[in-house]
Amino acid sequence: MSDYIRRLPVYLLLDCSGSMSGEPIEAVKQGIKALLTELKGDPQALETACLSVITFNSTARQISPLTELMLFKEPELTAGGATALGGALHVLADCIRTEVRTSTATQKGDWKPLVFLLTDGAPTDNLDEGIEALKSVSTGNIIACAAGANANTNTLRKITNNVLMMNNLTAGDLAAFFAWVSGSIKASSKSIDAKPGEAIQLPPPPQGFVIVP
Amino acid sequence: MNSGQIVTAVLEEGSPLGSTLDFVVDANAPRGGMKHTFFTPDRKYAVQFFNDPRDGHNPNIQDRIRTIVSIYNPTLSEQAGGALGNTEKTAEYFRSRFCWPVAIVSQPEFGIVCPTYPQKFFFGGNASTNGLNLKGKDKKSNWFTGRLRKYIAPEEKGDFRTMLGAAICLSRSIRRMHQAGLAHSDLSCNNVLIDPKSGSTVVIDIDSLVVPGKYPPEVCGTSGYIAPEVLATLEYDYNDPRRCLPCVSTDLHALPVLIYEYLFFRHPLKGPKIHSAASAEEDDYLAMGPEALFIENPNDRSNRPPDLKVTIQSLSKGLEQLFLRAFVDGLHDPSQRPTAMEWERELLRAWDRLVKCGNPGCEKKWFILRDESDPVCPFCGTRLRDRVIRLSFKSMMRGRNGVYRDNGEAIAYDGMPLYDWHVSSTVHNDEKAGTDMRAYICRHNGMWLLVNNGVEGMTSPSGRLVPKGQAVELRDGAVFRMTDRDDGLLCEVTVY
Repeated sequence: MSDYIRRLPVYLLLDCSGSMSGEPIEAVKQGIKALLTELKGDPQALETACLSVITFNSTARQISPLTELMLFKEPELTAGGATALGGALHVLADCIRTEVRTSTATQKGDWKPLVFLLTDGAPTDNLDEGIEALKSVSTGNIIACAAGANANTNTLRKITNNVLMMNNLTAGDLAAFFAWVSGSIKASSKSIDAKPGEAIQLPPPPQGFVIVP
Repeated sequence: MNSGQIVTAVLEEGSPLGSTLDFVVDANAPRGGMKHTFFTPDRKYAVQFFNDPRDGHNPNIQDRIRTIVSIYNPTLSEQAGGALGNTEKTAEYFRSRFCWPVAIVSQPEFGIVCPTYPQKFFFGGNASTNGLNLKGKDKKSNWFTGRLRKYIAPEEKGDFRTMLGAAICLSRSIRRMHQAGLAHSDLSCNNVLIDPKSGSTVVIDIDSLVVPGKYPPEVCGTSGYIAPEVLATLEYDYNDPRRCLPCVSTDLHALPVLIYEYLFFRHPLKGPKIHSAASAEEDDYLAMGPEALFIENPNDRSNRPPDLKVTIQSLSKGLEQLFLRAFVDGLHDPSQRPTAMEWERELLRAWDRLVKCGNPGCEKKWFILRDESDPVCPFCGTRLRDRVIRLSFKSMMRGRNGVYRDNGEAIAYDGMPLYDWHVSSTVHNDEKAGTDMRAYICRHNGMWLLVNNGVEGMTSPSGRLVPKGQAVELRDGAVFRMTDRDDGLLCEVTVY
């Protein structure tokens, strides 16, 4: 028996390497702000979604622990350094293990986490180790977005089947990406009990984005 | 099409809006599961197009929507091409309660024109106490009925009486739909907007209606409001006879879920019971689908929250019975579910049993008096200080002089208005009834009075005529006629 309120954990894995400095990182900050505003206007998302931010450059760390939207504080983001994507997956696996409640015979667990990964380059550390670590935890949809010409979609395909590509790293495209993320979170928070075991239907990606087959 | 550009839509013939309508293209147009929405420059109408162009070209969808706009339209009089038997008065009544499509767009592509819903269903600037910016957002009911309620400003929240009013409004709208054989198919907190302040609802997203004889829409509903049998048979193919599709009887699951949420601020099936340890998704599926269990099920208390104080037994006996039929007998047996008409009737009976809680700090302010001899507010536990006065209305049975039958009851409170349906046996409290106050109850110098506000032929217990502006004193055992017309009701007073 438990009156625990079930949450929809959402992890944002954001590339903060040197190539993101300047306009891109500012656009990401604006994107998070817009995401929060949007989700706080949707009662189902506000009731269920919790948000965490993990950033990676030369190392990876969780800069915002999994927090309900009303208490979430926008993180400080700075860009510089390499692209420790493998490390980010390690951190993600650790966070999911400690922050997401599992279902048992005596407790109501959280829904499977939604993961959005944004990167503009190729990993500079050991990605395979990170992928191995991620396999040890249960996730729902993982959506990877390759931003700009230097992002490597092939490596992202090793992490997930859901890979999006945005051609330019412009403020407009990043804004559209975050708008799509909020749409996906809203859709997930509404269709949660639709059918167990099925991937949640996400809205079509924004214009100018390509789904990598 | 560029954002901000004004485009002229060509409307199909017969539209009450003329042959064309301008709308503004918006790159950030609100986007639902099926459609996206643009507005006319004056924002009086919404122009909606399908996200998937195949839906817009689908002749089955077009055909279904054309009948919804015309011969099944309760917001248009029969004379103007709307539903059969609909008068301008009833059409007007439902115009504010449905956001019903009024026209069909043929160019630039197939689309629908709906009126925008009334302003009261949008939040104003100061709707939140916690810094949420809700201005201009739809008043979806879960802002008021769940955990988010704490973020909403007190003046937006209404009280128990207005929430009961909203439940009446909704059940009446759904009754009207079902009366025509239509099913909404996706009733939910998103598709019924609510204004707790005024106690009203508006039903939106009318285009996914199930229309008799037309291909049903392929929606299955919204999480939390889908009937258990629909969820339990989702695995079957759409054309498989075992698959349960949305229909009138699935609306009759969603309707009481909404009513229950309005009255109790909780979901009737979300309790502590754990149905599966495998995953949250599996647990939810079972809890809403094959293993759904009412949290107040009297025979199986395994899903009952430990702190349940206000329950269906705090409502009228009639409403308690309906909830038991909906969520115990009918939860897995759709044929047992009460109809929308039964909900409307029983909610109206409960409305006439509302009394004001004497505790000024009571958040609910009103409660339904279940037992005249034990008048205690179920929400705050305060006992009523005033005596309970019950008015029992009786109508004369035709051709049997002096034989009367029950025609409703009301519990009196200071300031209570009485209408035509409290005066005449031929008037029912529905969309056809007038809204003029015919009489009212007032407390004056320690006396309880029923004041005539415009009824011809009201007579006192002693048979004297009571003209407009004069009153009958409500003493225990008093019997008087609301009007001396043949259809006039007899009023019998009991003071507890």
